[in-house]
Amino acid sequence: MRPRLMLLIGCALCAAFLVISLAPGLFAGPPDAVAVARRLEAPSAQFWFGTDESGRDVYARVIHGAGTTLGIVGAAIAIAGLAGGGLGALAGFAGRLPDLALSRMADALLAFPPIILGVVLASTLGSGAVNSVLALSIIYVPVFYRVARAAALMESGRAYVEAARTLGHGEAAVLLRHVLRNVAPVVALQGVILFPLALQIQAALGFLGLGVPPPTPDWGASLQESRNYLTVAPWLATFPGLALLLAALAASLLGRALQARSG
Amino acid sequence: MLEAVLRRLGAALITLILATGVVFLVIRAVPGDAIGEMLGQSAGDPAAEAALRTFFGLDRPIWSQYLAWAGDLLRGDLGISMRQGMPVAGIVFDAFLVTLEIGLATLAFAILLGVPLGLAAGARPGGIADMAVEGFTLIGLSAPVFWTGMVLLILADAWLGWAPPLVYTPPDISLSDNLEGILLPVLALGLLQAAAYAQFTRQQSAALLRQDFVRAAAARGLPWRVVFGRHVLRNIAIPLVTYAGLILVQILGGVVVVETLFGIPGLGRTLLAAVQGRDYPVLQGALLLSVVVALLVNLLIDLAYALIDPRVRGA
Repeated sequence: MRPRLMLLIGCALCAAFLVISLAPGLFAGPPDAVAVARRLEAPSAQFWFGTDESGRDVYARVIHGAGTTLGIVGAAIAIAGLAGGGLGALAGFAGRLPDLALSRMADALLAFPPIILGVVLASTLGSGAVNSVLALSIIYVPVFYRVARAAALMESGRAYVEAARTLGHGEAAVLLRHVLRNVAPVVALQGVILFPLALQIQAALGFLGLGVPPPTPDWGASLQESRNYLTVAPWLATFPGLALLLAALAASLLGRALQARSG
Repeated sequence: MLEAVLRRLGAALITLILATGVVFLVIRAVPGDAIGEMLGQSAGDPAAEAALRTFFGLDRPIWSQYLAWAGDLLRGDLGISMRQGMPVAGIVFDAFLVTLEIGLATLAFAILLGVPLGLAAGARPGGIADMAVEGFTLIGLSAPVFWTGMVLLILADAWLGWAPPLVYTPPDISLSDNLEGILLPVLALGLLQAAAYAQFTRQQSAALLRQDFVRAAAARGLPWRVVFGRHVLRNIAIPLVTYAGLILVQILGGVVVVETLFGIPGLGRTLLAAVQGRDYPVLQGALLLSVVVALLVNLLIDLAYALIDPRVRGA
């Protein structure tokens, strides 16, 4: 696919998800409205995605789940990007002991498979949206750190850094005003690339019952609830999963297009 | 060469020590532990609680617990499970073998499907095969792996009327039952990793096609199959072999959710149960094993590179 087309589709999908996350009420009714008499109904004109085991509208839960799921992932990526990016830029720029100490710590965290680290952190911290954000950000801080450190290391050797120093700017000013400014786009791009991966982990944690507690609508948690009705009511598993797939696809397309642009 | 290997080993060892330290701190930072639940009826009896705490060493400071654990580890002793009362080494090793079987089967599937797809796409960038494979990789990498497993379960029921057992039978008891149990998990994990493999293969071959020596071969008028077979395939072999290690590490990590879905008593489910039951010794053992395997495979990748590719050896 041409990068331009990828960028277009990626942006359109991301924008759609953003609007749905911010204003789910525009697209669907309340996610918690229960119609006991109409439980486990197949998709129809009235219930587009069918109803679940308590008679709730699956479509409404998928729409309202976007804010929970994508909000948690977005917040985690933002926090990890700021923390990891900042520390990485500092380490790459300062070198020596700060670099050594921080890099060793990053290596220690990176030694764990991300999903396993997620399981341990999420169950240690306990369920809930805030703790999910925290667990996910801890997983991705070292990844951002590595990327920002490499970028800062490269920038630090450039002539403009030396020029800024020669002009008498202090180290802090050189880091904040010059190096950080060139590291930031790299970190931002990394955030787009990591988004689908973090989304998979958020969904997995929800599926394992380590995410947000019910009845908050969340795609991973919906998949967990659908497990007992896989063959009786396959629509319960189908639609939240498709939503996850589509959101990951949107971020992947955007990431690939931006990567192709920046070379 | 030897010095580089030793330095690499040293770095891996330091990472391992730090990683186990992280585990120790994190899992003990939470309130509540297995002791309270172990006591059951006798909960509230301070003497019994203190005795259990002393037995598992929980009354000592964390650093002292860590050193004791590390000391036992060096003697090959991973401790006793707080829940099952059995040696952790046995529990974790048995679970690892189950996960390894799934991991290796998945890897085989991913290579058999992913590499041909990647080569077909890479041979003619921008062609129909390339676009089809790009679609497959985009969707394959976007679908949550446990959801793929759920969809496979739904399809197996709808199309074949087949309900997989959702229990694991060891291969030495019944090979056919064993294969029946791991078929869908391997397929679910394998589709994801095949997408990763196809993408990697395509990137590698596309990058090689841009290289001067490949373009020169084409410019000399060599037939396309000779250019691709002799110049591209031969150079692609090395990264493809080493990529297998990377994928295996990913599979061993990603298996935790799939094991839960399909009821497979592997390392992932053991870890999840240990984390939920605050069974520290089992959790530590399982985490240690997964970190060691990841570090070991990464080390082997680097060594394999140096052994296969003379260009790396000098560096």
